[in-house]
Amino acid sequence: MNSPQYIAVESLGEALKIKQEQGAHARVIAGATDLILRMRDRVFSPKLLVDLRQVSLDTISCHAGEMRLGAYVTLSQILADDEITVLFPALVEACRQFAGPPIRNLATLGGNIVNASPAADLVPPLMAYDANIVLASSAGERVLALAEFFTGPGQTVMQADEILTQIRLPLMPPDSASWFIKLGQRRSMAISIINLSIRLTLGAKGAVSDARIVLGAAAPTPLRAVAAEALLIGKELSDQQVDQAAVEASRETSPITDVRASRNYRERMTQVLVRRALLASWDDLGRSGRNE
Amino acid sequence: MHESSVVGQWVSAPGAEDIVTGKARYCPDIQLPGMLTGKLLYSPHVRARIKNLDVSKAKDIPGVYAVITHADIPGENSYLYAYPDQPLLAVDEVRFQGDAVAAVAAVDEKTADAALEAIAVDYEVLSGIFDPLEAMKPGADQVVAGQSNVMMQMTYTSGDVEAALASADVIVENTYRTQWAEHAFLETEGGVARVDDEGVVTVWSSCQAPHRDRMQIARSLGLAESMVRVITPYIGGAFGGKDEAHVQIHAALLAYAARRPVRLIRGRRESMLTHVKRHPMIVHCTTAASKDGRLLAVRARVIADAGPYSNATHEVLNKFGEFIGGPYKVPNLEVEKIAVRTNNPITGAFRGFGAPQAAFVYESQMDDLARKLGMDPLEIRLLNGVETGTQLFTGVVVREGRAMKASLRKAAEMIAWEKRDQCERSPAGHLRRGWGMATILKGAGLGRGLADHAGVLLEMHRDGSLVINSAAADMGQGIITLMAQLAAERLGLDLSCVRIDRADTAKAPDAGASCASRQAMVSGNAVLIAADEIRDTLLSLAARKIKVSKDRLDLRNGRLLVDGEIHDLTVQNLAERASVWGYPLHAQSRYHLEYPDDAPEVAYRFSSEFFQFCTQIAQVLVDCETGQVKVEKLVAVHDAGKIINPGGVYGQIEGGVAQGIGYALSEELVVVEGHTLNASLENYVIPMALDFPELDIHVLEMPELAGGPLGAKGVAEGPIIPTAPAIRNAILDAIGKPLYQLPMNAERVLAALNP
Amino acid sequence: MSEMDIHLTVNGNPHKVQAEPAKTLLCVLREDVGLTGTKDGCSSGDCGACVVLLDGRVVNSCMVLAPQADGARITTVEGLAVNGQLHPLQRAFAETWAFQCGFCTQGMLISCYALLLSNENPSREEILIAIAGNFCRCTAYQNVVKAVQQAAAEIRERGNREGIPHA
Repeated sequence: MNSPQYIAVESLGEALKIKQEQGAHARVIAGATDLILRMRDRVFSPKLLVDLRQVSLDTISCHAGEMRLGAYVTLSQILADDEITVLFPALVEACRQFAGPPIRNLATLGGNIVNASPAADLVPPLMAYDANIVLASSAGERVLALAEFFTGPGQTVMQADEILTQIRLPLMPPDSASWFIKLGQRRSMAISIINLSIRLTLGAKGAVSDARIVLGAAAPTPLRAVAAEALLIGKELSDQQVDQAAVEASRETSPITDVRASRNYRERMTQVLVRRALLASWDDLGRSGRNE
Repeated sequence: MHESSVVGQWVSAPGAEDIVTGKARYCPDIQLPGMLTGKLLYSPHVRARIKNLDVSKAKDIPGVYAVITHADIPGENSYLYAYPDQPLLAVDEVRFQGDAVAAVAAVDEKTADAALEAIAVDYEVLSGIFDPLEAMKPGADQVVAGQSNVMMQMTYTSGDVEAALASADVIVENTYRTQWAEHAFLETEGGVARVDDEGVVTVWSSCQAPHRDRMQIARSLGLAESMVRVITPYIGGAFGGKDEAHVQIHAALLAYAARRPVRLIRGRRESMLTHVKRHPMIVHCTTAASKDGRLLAVRARVIADAGPYSNATHEVLNKFGEFIGGPYKVPNLEVEKIAVRTNNPITGAFRGFGAPQAAFVYESQMDDLARKLGMDPLEIRLLNGVETGTQLFTGVVVREGRAMKASLRKAAEMIAWEKRDQCERSPAGHLRRGWGMATILKGAGLGRGLADHAGVLLEMHRDGSLVINSAAADMGQGIITLMAQLAAERLGLDLSCVRIDRADTAKAPDAGASCASRQAMVSGNAVLIAADEIRDTLLSLAARKIKVSKDRLDLRNGRLLVDGEIHDLTVQNLAERASVWGYPLHAQSRYHLEYPDDAPEVAYRFSSEFFQFCTQIAQVLVDCETGQVKVEKLVAVHDAGKIINPGGVYGQIEGGVAQGIGYALSEELVVVEGHTLNASLENYVIPMALDFPELDIHVLEMPELAGGPLGAKGVAEGPIIPTAPAIRNAILDAIGKPLYQLPMNAERVLAALNP
Repeated sequence: MSEMDIHLTVNGNPHKVQAEPAKTLLCVLREDVGLTGTKDGCSSGDCGACVVLLDGRVVNSCMVLAPQADGARITTVEGLAVNGQLHPLQRAFAETWAFQCGFCTQGMLISCYALLLSNENPSREEILIAIAGNFCRCTAYQNVVKAVQQAAAEIRERGNREGIPHA
């Protein structure tokens, strides 16, 4: 590969100025675990790598009902954070099952998002938690729902002069449960055949007041199965509801066949795993009156 | 015989300290002054005619020292494992994704890459032939013009299969399919070559057969073999995949052309696209038995996809046929072996050499048969198993066969086979647990009629230290340790007094390839013979000096023993005395794997006569909703004859099982129209540490005195062979559905559950 | 394509090398620092043969660009032994045959070394998780577990973790 230039900027402003001037020719480098491969395969041929590691984008803080994670937060940092473990267990589980320790020490939350891989493991839980992301440019910041970020494999709405700086996770309402499931071909170092995250929130009367079902590797982008969610919202949970939602979620997918699995298998597994995740969350919410 | 202080003991490998400190040098670590980087240019097409090949621009790039094509090869433009049909550099046609068309050597990797890009090749893309069943039809387009696509077709018959089938009570008949499998040795293939002022070409080669490498390099350079020296540095695994030559010949050609040292190392993707794979096979098998469960006949027809070139195909299929009867008494057997040329990946040696595919077939057949008969899988195997004295369908008489049934019984005991139904069979609604066994035999050694020998050179110095010069390649399996142990044992030395270098054709005689589980037997015995010669000199001197007859003397822990009592004289004293008196303390020996004179004439070509026996039982948990299979537990009982190097023996067994689990469940090269789609360690899915089951290993010691040193047998291949069928039979036990295709990945298991 | 000055402290020794920004830390260590103990098994972060400690964390050195490591402290397999004295892990690996061909060993040792820095008595499961990114094709995972536990016991017995360099 032709070697680009490299700069470790000292401020975000400096990076934004570079991006304003050079656009896509300047590429932000974070964990680089994917960037290096894509540069070698010439998918990307940036002229300049902009490293923001001196800019403190690797902080985690809790702010007025939301958790803010810098884009440079590594997966290992998330795993080591006690608050996140309690508040966003599905995200932590996704990190735990991600690659292996040496990669988790490098790979960043921001990188997993900006890559825009349909199979990105961290995106379904983030979307299930209604994550917002902060995109900065020299013109200012915009905050956007993560669900609106992806447009296709490797494609996003991020402009050439923008940098992803932060991920904001609103705290789940009380009486919520969340779950993450990854179906891989081995227990570590696996790319997901299907991954998914769900969140269920119960209202005052015990009915589902809100639901998220987010699927990875099931469509060109991480996918919210909104029709399946709608089948749950406003209803009391039952085995029948769960089964129907699982079937519906599977219908919403449009997966591909690749070296890991066939389209048909991915569709079937979506149904199986959505059902399992819903049942597990229901258990977490203190399901009563159900006989296993 | 006294309890040994080295043989059978857990000792560190010579060189272990170099490995744990990072000092051990593998091919990529070799640095020579002025060394260039070598690279190969491959065709992007799996089948194409080369209309024009222009390397002139590449040659003009500053820093490029050599660019060679087929026209620049001074000698033969072919590999030579058995048949010289694979070119080193393609001449007028490329026939698979790994055919190289040019090689370059440049000052650094970047310049070499630029040179590759500057080579202009004009291809006329041809339609390839990818389905062996189509390719073998008369009139099919020929993969190699002028040659039949049917590379090999041979039938071997023993007894009267037709009559046996007609009289059988029970018959099972199935078609099995196996996949392309990848060795994935962690160190990719590499070679470093240098031409010195006298014209001697020295090649450091990551290989299994240094003398065969030397022959191939010499014939391609057009030099006498005496002008070529091959050294194996540390080797990062091989498993059969470095038995056949790879880039070491190209490295030598480039160094010869550039007159500067060249290092050529394959990248991971390049490695996976180019070297031989385990043969994918389609096997149709019919097994017949009487109603009391006795085997009456086996008929098998195998069609193997060879890829465009022979490589080790003939030999692998020969072994497939030799072992298709399993470790059983099969009175009537017929096996037809067909290999077909295609434009798919090339195929050849991989640990087990045809026996893993055969075992998947015969051990699956045994369980299907047992189910049909309502017999226990253990019972039907014990009923039909070979014993000492059994004559196999090949004509070979098993000389030491106790381990067949002993391994079955031991494995059953270890996993509590009889009590397995007391275990939870369905720990949750969607989970099913099951147990399955497989037992195998596999020859150790190349087989009768083949030159199966090894030489070695030992020299003791006047201080009592010993050097062993051997050309047996150690790829991690531990042959170096074993040789050092045997020499130390015979000469009464501490292991630290024995120095053994990596294989070097300039220092040691031919030891043949490190393959076929043979080195422990041939090089091990050669070391014993040479060590005994030196030992005899030492003891003769001692006998003369202290006036005691030689048969009362022994050497141990660096001391002379007289009637078992420690004497003042040390081995060092004796060595010093020998030196002063002018007695030679060096010995060269050669051991040829001898097949017993009283053995009957062997009907099957190149049959092995020394056998590894191995039984494995797997306990699996199947997720019936996802099809995923978890191997929870596995017991492996293996007969090593006699354990010399336990670290190596246990390591080989664990490694074989791990590779067997991958072969069973997840490993498969996805090849579409000749192109491999998953040529990476990310997408070719090999189980890792967390996927590994609880593994319980037991090693039986039933010495094969006619074969290896002190009764030891090779153990390298046996352990990978029963794993896949054991898991298959465990899945069958769990879900009640048989699988006939490898790997048994989640989708295939799910398809079996929901046909 | 200009080269940059990269400052590294490798196994306690300062190094200054010139490297193009796209050069990986793995290549810098092998080619510029001259330490070839760290191996290249795949160049794509899949095998773990190139694992080193970077500021105390295990990383795949093939997945780190040289300038990203500028100013970092690196520990490679060559840094585990102190004054010619093998680290207990190294000894245990050699004694228990925690490898066969040895090509994965350097990365495997670093992963296990990092584990012992934070866990003085790791369980089998914890060890397997620590090496979940280290591929061993010859397969000696069981013996790696044995070796790590043997070394951990030795270190505990000594009651002295100061013996570990660059912790």
